[in-house]
Amino acid sequence: MAPVLISALEADYILKGIDDNLRADGRGRLDYREVILETGLITQAHGSARCRLGEGTDVLVGVKVDIGTVDIDGTEEEVATVKAKRGRVVCNVECSPIASQQFAGRGADDINNELTQMMSRVLNGPQGGLNLEKLCIIPGKACWIVYIDALVLDYAGNIVDTMFMTTRAALFNTQVPKAIIHDLGDGEVEFDLSEDVEEWERIEGWEHVPISVTLNKIGSRHIVDATPLEELTTEAKLHVMVNRNGKICGIQKSGSGSIEHSLLNEMVQEEYDINEKRMRNKPVEKLGFFAAT
Amino acid sequence: MSIHFLFPKPAFSAGNNDQKDQDGDVDMFVRAQRDNFESKVVTPGQVITADTQYMRGHGTYLNEEESSHISSVAGVVERVNKLITVRPLHTRYTGNIGDLVIGRITEVTNKRWKVDINSRQDAVLLLSAINLPGGVQRRKTEADELQMRKFFAEGDLLAAEFQGSFNDGSTSLHTRNLKYGKLRNGSLIVVPPALVQRCKTHFHTLSCGVDVTLGLNGYIWVSKHSSKNLDELDPEAIYSNDNEPVDRSTRETIARVCNCINALSRHFMCITDTIIAYAYEASLKYPVKDLLKLEAMEFVTTEVRHKLSVVRSIY
Repeated sequence: MAPVLISALEADYILKGIDDNLRADGRGRLDYREVILETGLITQAHGSARCRLGEGTDVLVGVKVDIGTVDIDGTEEEVATVKAKRGRVVCNVECSPIASQQFAGRGADDINNELTQMMSRVLNGPQGGLNLEKLCIIPGKACWIVYIDALVLDYAGNIVDTMFMTTRAALFNTQVPKAIIHDLGDGEVEFDLSEDVEEWERIEGWEHVPISVTLNKIGSRHIVDATPLEELTTEAKLHVMVNRNGKICGIQKSGSGSIEHSLLNEMVQEEYDINEKRMRNKPVEKLGFFAAT
Repeated sequence: MSIHFLFPKPAFSAGNNDQKDQDGDVDMFVRAQRDNFESKVVTPGQVITADTQYMRGHGTYLNEEESSHISSVAGVVERVNKLITVRPLHTRYTGNIGDLVIGRITEVTNKRWKVDINSRQDAVLLLSAINLPGGVQRRKTEADELQMRKFFAEGDLLAAEFQGSFNDGSTSLHTRNLKYGKLRNGSLIVVPPALVQRCKTHFHTLSCGVDVTLGLNGYIWVSKHSSKNLDELDPEAIYSNDNEPVDRSTRETIARVCNCINALSRHFMCITDTIIAYAYEASLKYPVKDLLKLEAMEFVTTEVRHKLSVVRSIY
């Protein structure tokens, strides 16, 4: 059960430990916990993945692709022509009440909204990675809509990083059915879905989907991958999303504290370095759904 | 043709209870038949016994049609004379008088504090139940009531003793001993309450130089060793909000012990001071932060089990 209160003495202990590069569980400031990632768990979804960070945070992501109409109402003509030729991504993040007592009832509404908006902005944006043009079936009329649903099953700090890792893995696992287009002449176009499962293709562009690194500012230092007690002593958090080419795809700051300009530069640079390493070797262990309980 | 049903004959003879076969072994199956459900592990919905002579206690209910006792929780069956109860393995802390618990202050109200002790309800700590600075026997004044946050504020961790229960089921604590009170210089680990066994004392000092306070409600405090005697403790300083300086090697040892306790709780092993000491020795093979990995935890817990079986076989 994640605590929502922390004593001044515990906070002081954590602060001094971070200063000394030795956190409460022995990690250094820039050490991540062990990642256990698994894909293909949900057979009814087009793609799915589950990630556990250490023995704590657990996020399950399911991806479903569905036919929908292109949404161009109310946009200007230039934007409309671009949008007419693309599919889109709809995200939804939910923190389940079983994850922590603070998520019971309406407690999770704020954090759900924040996480949903964050994911939505990154994946629908120009650096989202996914090839949205390929998701268009009939320009202006029909397209694939990718519904990404993330469920936070357990909370032990650092939801954002886990969420992005799981989403990327779920998108890796996603298979899009093939649409066969029939030209009926006179500009009329119709399409059919191929029945053959073998013809389903992996969603294009999954490898360019960014993952995030969250840095928490505590005192005058910053750490990655905070535990719940460390998050309670955090003044401000910086999430940086980087893709495999090393390009920064998004930055978001949360928390009520402030980050000085020089510290900001340093933090972004460090997150960039961490991300490079993580992109190169993503640890994957096939253990089964209940293995890491 | 009439059909006659025969009841199955028991596979053993119930006469001579302590038969020994040629190796000198006693057939345990025979003895178990007499109280055939005691210490049995049951799951929700499992029938404990069909014998209606027993009364049902916590964790059981009666199935009307078959008049059999059924367990409603997952746990171990316990029997006291005619009363059957099931003690669940994974449950909230239910206290007994005299237990040491570690709690976190959630609320400061009129003349009392509300303390979270991992139980179904928050416990109550009365202002009259704590040590007031300026002498143990000082009476509380009105100034004390107005300055309750000077003693304990929201979020503070403290060690207290379970005093008793009120009529409505809420429990009350007291810290009337100088060894109880605010916890400092360390970090907290939360484990399931069933894993902490009751023993003579809950304040242990490990040979590696850290103090471990085992709260029976599953909260465990690991801290730097405080070498002060109880008489030397300054009553004024017990409510201070300052930590003593903790050097790096002590910090590392505290982190290592925390990770060991975490590994033991993940594998659902009992937590006592000897077991923590075994786990600590076994964990020295790995650097502290590697103890968070699954394989390191497996190694530590198998080593502990091995040592325990060796110790038991000696006795």
